[in-house]
This record gives sequence, structure tokens and C-alpha cells, in this order.
Amino acid sequence: MEIPVCIEIQSVSKRYKSSQENSLTDVSIDIACADVFGLLGPNGAGKTTLISILCGIIPPTSGQVHYYMNGSQISDAKRKSKIGFVPQEYAFYQELTPRQNLDYFGAMYNISKKRLEVRREELLEILGLAKSADKKVGTFSGGMKRRINLAIGIIHEPEILFLDEPTVGVDVQSRNAIIRYLQLINESGTTIIYTSHHMSEAEEFCKHIALIDHGKVIAKGELEGLKAANHVSSLQSLFINLTGEEYRD
Amino acid sequence: MFKIFSSLRKEFLLLINDKVGLALLFLMPLLLVFIITIIQDSAYKMVNENQIPLLVVNHDSGKEGKKLVALLDSSGLFKVDSQNGIEQSSLKSELLSRGKLLALYIPKTFSAGLESNAEDVSTILMEDLGLEHDTIGQAKVEMPRLSFYNDPVLQENYSYSVMGIIQSYMSVIENSLMIDRMYTNMDLGDKSAVLKKKMISNRVQINQIVASNNNSTVIPNSTQHNVPAWTIFAMFFMVVSLGSNIVKERVSGSFLRLKTMPTTFMLVMFSKMAIYVLVAVLQVALTFSMGIWILPKLGLPQLTVPQNFIAMVAVIFVSSMAAVSYALLIGSLSRTEQQANGFGAISIIIFGAIGGILVPTFVMPGFMQYASNFSPLHWCLEGFYVLFLKGGSWQELKYVFSFLGIFILICQLGTYFKLRLERII
Repeated sequence: MEIPVCIEIQSVSKRYKSSQENSLTDVSIDIACADVFGLLGPNGAGKTTLISILCGIIPPTSGQVHYYMNGSQISDAKRKSKIGFVPQEYAFYQELTPRQNLDYFGAMYNISKKRLEVRREELLEILGLAKSADKKVGTFSGGMKRRINLAIGIIHEPEILFLDEPTVGVDVQSRNAIIRYLQLINESGTTIIYTSHHMSEAEEFCKHIALIDHGKVIAKGELEGLKAANHVSSLQSLFINLTGEEYRD
Repeated sequence: MFKIFSSLRKEFLLLINDKVGLALLFLMPLLLVFIITIIQDSAYKMVNENQIPLLVVNHDSGKEGKKLVALLDSSGLFKVDSQNGIEQSSLKSELLSRGKLLALYIPKTFSAGLESNAEDVSTILMEDLGLEHDTIGQAKVEMPRLSFYNDPVLQENYSYSVMGIIQSYMSVIENSLMIDRMYTNMDLGDKSAVLKKKMISNRVQINQIVASNNNSTVIPNSTQHNVPAWTIFAMFFMVVSLGSNIVKERVSGSFLRLKTMPTTFMLVMFSKMAIYVLVAVLQVALTFSMGIWILPKLGLPQLTVPQNFIAMVAVIFVSSMAAVSYALLIGSLSRTEQQANGFGAISIIIFGAIGGILVPTFVMPGFMQYASNFSPLHWCLEGFYVLFLKGGSWQELKYVFSFLGIFILICQLGTYFKLRLERII
């Protein structure tokens, strides 16, 4: 049985006004529903630009992105309530507590007050933030902040979740907690699109990947198949093979 | 509704968590109103209520000098310090060493000169009337000159005012002398008193009327300037709190995150504006309460609440919107919190200085008075002046609303285009 496509990226290119070169060139990817899809590449490859286009933060210079739910294409307005976004930055209010942050962003996702209260407490518990739920986030460690960042992105139980380096700069415990929970929600049907520089983490987590370099897709497909085709045993070797060993800015 | 409530709640929570911002918004205007009103009220009283210290050196050998000193003393306007032992040559240094600002020197020939002049006037009159009189033995003395010394720190117009007062007392003495001399020459004896009284007391009076639309007798005082002036200053100082609040949200990515959510950015901006307009209204309530209830207890003038309540609400709302819009613009243009705080605060001080908050515009040079038209704080202050001193005339408020309306529009459009350029909107 063929798995339905959730996101269809068709020949997307992006050139910023301040730049002479394309950040993305003719990117075409299909992402299946309930997949964990890794967008991998060196620094400056165009991963964040692609995620920003997929989330509707910036428009592509050319090309199109289509979203499908239950086999039908959905509008931009509907897409906003179906997707969750966890950016690289701590995109929340450091002066507020985790509860206050979740209350605010949850309300922005149109969650009812009652449902929000239940969901908020559930996430605080799962992500190990319940004890610090009424302390200001500004005083938290990097790992705790990453978990709040994640909690905000999934407060509305999105069908598609975008994660831009969700575990960068966190300790092993926090990384484990984050990845474990992401696997859990993926098992319940959430499509995850994920970027990371941690190859071992991506290898463990992703089913399909697209390797991007200099704004172009240099490889895409099922992870094990790509490794076999390139005669390598690990994602890291595949990555080095395809992107080279020179430093990137 | 829950969404709007949550958005307002978030802004409120951010505000109350910003302790420095809160102090600037609420403590600063209270302190400024309190301190500056006391300072300016003292200056106001020095000119209008207290006596002017005047060092007088009377070397006149006649009685007219004493008469002038007595008149100045009894006027209640001067605190006369008679030091007749001082030589005129050392009067300048004495003035400075005694810490006095003004001095008057009455020369030795003061009475003789005035009497001689009165005799001349009387002679002309007698001759014109064809009457004989005795002029033998009367030596001619030059019209005397009084010397008026002033410390250079005094404003020129202040010195001229004091000289004007002395001049008016001189007129009384000169007229009195001339009438006496004429009555004497005409052998009318002591009957001059009635004429002198008539001439001196029956002069044209000047009624001072405050130009107001509601026949209000309220005149500007230190409270009526300082309470609205520093309230407006504090309102605009919200640029430090609101400006850095916006920078933080932009830089942290919260704004971009909101863009991925099923909400409108207008809700974010509306919430910010609503909360900070409320802050501005609270600032007004706080400082006005101080002006009404606390300042009078300290012996300062009480703030008279404007009678046109609707106009007052309109002025407060438009001023608040101007302050909020400016803060939004600075917040959207600044790259860092430091930029927003630094530029925002300095720009408000400059706007305040040229807008008549620190020093009223009417004492500024012409070009600075023209420049004040470009300060939003000036127009806000004008709005409050119209409320306090002109009964809240809608006719005059329309200029205030027009300028502030344009200012608000420019700031809002500037904010919109900058955020759009950053793809936040």
C-alpha cells in the first residue's frame, strides 16, 4: 500500500534580495505522511531556508509547496493550524514561566481554555518541566529551554512538525527525552521534518532523508537504501562522501 | 475572545516583569513632577511673590532721595538694603561681594536736580500764563541720573522690569515736585495735595485677563506646566520598555514563530498598544492625582482639573497613542535592545527639550520655537495647555489632533513597513 504524500515541494528556488546567489535551487521533494524526514546538510546549505519556506515564514522565489491531508490539498490558512514549528532559536518569552508561555502560544493556536490546561500540564510532565513550571524561563538551562521550545511547537498536537536543530547545545539527557518524545508522537501519526548536525541522532531517528548542499538536493530517499547505494555503513560516512571534507562558513 | 485575552495577558505579564521599565514608567514621572515643580515654583515665587533684594546707596543731600528709598521700601516689591557708606566707584564690587543681584545709586545732586527741573517747568508755565514770579537766587542744576547695577546672570527683561518699576516711582516724585513748585509760585500754599492725589491715583488701570474660552481665572503656574509636561515625558519614555520588548520578540524569533500560527500579527500589535495606552492613562491618573491632592499639601499650587472632560479624554488618548506609536517605531527600527533604549531615551530627551517640556517654548529663541513644532511632545503639551488654560477649546485642539494624528500615522506606517521588510508581517 502506497503511503500518501503530505508535503509536495515542486522546483522550489530561493534568492534573497541581498544575495547574488540562490540559497535554494530547484528543490523538489515529496514527504510522506507519518514519515520522519531529515533535511541534512553542512552549514549554509539551505536547510533553514527550506524549513522557513515550508512553514510559510518566507515565500519561495519560484516553485510551489503543496500540503495534503486525507488525500486533499489544504489551504494556507488551514495549514497553519495543522503544522507545528520548533525553530533553532529560543522563540518564546524568557520573562514568563513555562506555563505562561504555553498558555499564550496555545491560545494563538486556537486551543480552547479547558483543552489547553490539560495539554499544558501533560506536556510539562512528559518533558520534565512540571517542577519548574512557575519559574521564569530566563533562569533555565539550555536543555530545559529546548524542551519548552519543543513543547510550544507541539502544544496543539500538529499533524506535521518542523524541527530546526531541536537538540543543538543540550545535554544527553535532554536530547534523549526530546528524541524519545518525538518518536512517540511520530508513532501516533505525526509527520516530522527535522534538521540536525548530529548524524548519529539523525541516523537513529530518520526514515528518509534529503542531503542538501549549496542549495541543491544532492541525494534523497530512504536512509538505508542511500547508504547501500553509496557503499557506506553510516550516515556520517554518507554525508562526508557526498559533501566533502572542506570547511563550510 | 480567549485569544484576545491571552494576548493582552501576555503583554501585561511582560510589562509587570520588567521592573526597570515599570520604575521608569511610574516612579520617574512622580519624582520629576515633585522635584521640578518645587524647583520651578521657587523660581516663580522669587519673581512674583518674594521681594526683590536691592542694594541702595543714597548720597543725595536733599530729601527726594530719601523719599525715593521710602517709596521703594514701602512698595513691598523690594527688600531694600541701604548702604550709604559705599562709594559709587566700588559699588560694582560691593554688589557682587554681597551676593546681591541689583543695586541703585542715588547721586548727591538728586534732589537739587529734580527741584531745578521742577522750577524750570514751573517757570515755563508761569510765563505762558503771563504770571510773575521770583527766580532770583535759584541756581540751575543738571537733571540727575540714577545708576542701576545688575548682575549679568539676570535676564535682560527682568532687569528692565525692575528699572520700569523704579521709573514709575520717579514719575510720582517728579510730578509731585512740579505740582508743589507751581502751587508755590502761584502763591496757592498747601492746596496741591488734592491735585497730586488726583493725578497719582486716578491713572489708567490695566486689567489683566487670561485668554480663556470659559472665563476661567486659572493662570499658568508651575503645577500646570510640570504635571502634564513630565507626564508626557514619561509617556514617551515607554520607548525604553515597549521598544526593547519589541526588539526582544523580533530577535528571539517569537514574531516569526507567531507567523507560522493561525493568528494575525495585528492581534499582537493591538495587544501591545492596548496595554501601553492603559499604562499611559495610569501615568496621567497618577501624576494628576499628585497634582490635585499631594502638591497642595506641600504648599505648591493645586492642579485644576479641566472642565471639558471629553476633550481631556481625547487629549490623553491621542497623546498616549503618539507615545505608543513612537515606541513601536523605535522597537521595529532598532537591531538591539541597547539601540532601542539608548536612541529611544536620548531622542525623547531631545524632543522634550525642543518641545518645551524642560523649558517653556516662549523663552526659546525664534528658530527653536519653530523647531518645537516638530516635537510630538510639544503638541501633546499644547493639548494639555489648551485643556488647562483655554477651557479645552475644540477649535484650538484641532491643530493638536491634526499634528499628532499625522505623527501617529507616520510611526504606524514606519513600523508596518519595517516589519514587512523583515517578513514578520
